[in-house]
Amino acid sequence: MKIIWENIFLAMAAFAILYFLLHKFAFSKLFAIMEQRRELVMSQMNEAAQTRQQAAAYVEDQKKALEQARQDAQEIIERSRQTSTKQAEQLMEQAKEEAIRLKTEAVRDIENEKNKAVEELRGELGTVSVQIASKLIGREVKKDQAQEELVDQYLKEVGGRA
Amino acid sequence: MHESPIINVGGFNIDLSAVLMLVVTSAIVFILCRLAVRNLSVENPSKLQNFMEWVVEFVQGIVASAMDLKKGKAYISLGLTLILFIFVANVLGLPFAVITDLSENFTVFGQTIEATRGIGPDHYAHVLWWKSPTADVNITAGLALIVFFLMNYLGLKLNRKHYLKHYLEPFPVFLPLNIIENLAKPIALAIRLFANIFAGEVLIVVILKMGILGIPFLAIWQGFSIFVGALQAFIFTILTMVYISQTTIHEEH
Repeated sequence: MKIIWENIFLAMAAFAILYFLLHKFAFSKLFAIMEQRRELVMSQMNEAAQTRQQAAAYVEDQKKALEQARQDAQEIIERSRQTSTKQAEQLMEQAKEEAIRLKTEAVRDIENEKNKAVEELRGELGTVSVQIASKLIGREVKKDQAQEELVDQYLKEVGGRA
Repeated sequence: MHESPIINVGGFNIDLSAVLMLVVTSAIVFILCRLAVRNLSVENPSKLQNFMEWVVEFVQGIVASAMDLKKGKAYISLGLTLILFIFVANVLGLPFAVITDLSENFTVFGQTIEATRGIGPDHYAHVLWWKSPTADVNITAGLALIVFFLMNYLGLKLNRKHYLKHYLEPFPVFLPLNIIENLAKPIALAIRLFANIFAGEVLIVVILKMGILGIPFLAIWQGFSIFVGALQAFIFTILTMVYISQTTIHEEH
């Protein structure tokens, strides 16, 4: 082990030259590229975060829209149910009214027929009773207006009592 | 003991082996880095670029462990050069050594190699040409001196008041102690690196003396020497960063 000053200076010079050459021709470029990559990664990460946020917002929107659609559907069902109930009630009402109307009509018809029959019977009875009376009395009972009115009146009394 | 191929040029002792190994080491590191940055790409880095980026991140980790990375950014290039240079220098001597037996007054470039001067006609000088440059204490001393100058220069430039005050702490009477502490740093750096690598090469020579029996030991020891070389490069770099951080950064207590 011998100290040789020339060697020390040679080593220092070699190292200094190597340092400047590397710094100028190799490391500066490499550092720039690494910095660029760092920025690229950062920007990509930011982008990813943004995309994630957007996706979350989109999902939120979709959820809201779905909820809205569900509500709408519920409303529509409710409304249609109400409408159908109303319609059914209306139909029932109509049917009832129709039935009542038919019933009243029928009752009126019956009444009419009955009255007509009574009327006819009454007319028949009047004629028959005049014939019987004329037979009994043995003379012609005149078939005039006065007599018939009389008979009718009696018959009415009879009928009203009956 | 092997001799160094020293020639005397104009009063300077030029160690041809040191020149050769420094040039080889620098060339390997420079070519490696140039290859790594040849086709730089952000999205699709080559394998070599990936490796180089891993080294850069490793050195960033070293710098960050010693100081705030914002202040330490300027030293990443230094740390990278140190770790690559020292690691390549450490492993260069592992695969082989080139030793020539030179007769008396052997000349290179017209200059006589000092070790062969006047050794007699039947004697040979064993001259070591190819070795780890860091197995020479002068080379590691050069590296350590760079660190020494750099840390004191940066301390004076960036942190003058606290740097100077630190020599008088905790009491002015500690001044000589602090100066010795400061001087011990580069000496420790140089000796530690030199001793580790030199001892590794000496042990390789010893194992080679065992002949065929030594092959497994040689394999184990060379593998371990690669580890030691990486470790010493790492230690040199991290200590450099710690020293720079000690002199330049003053933390308010």
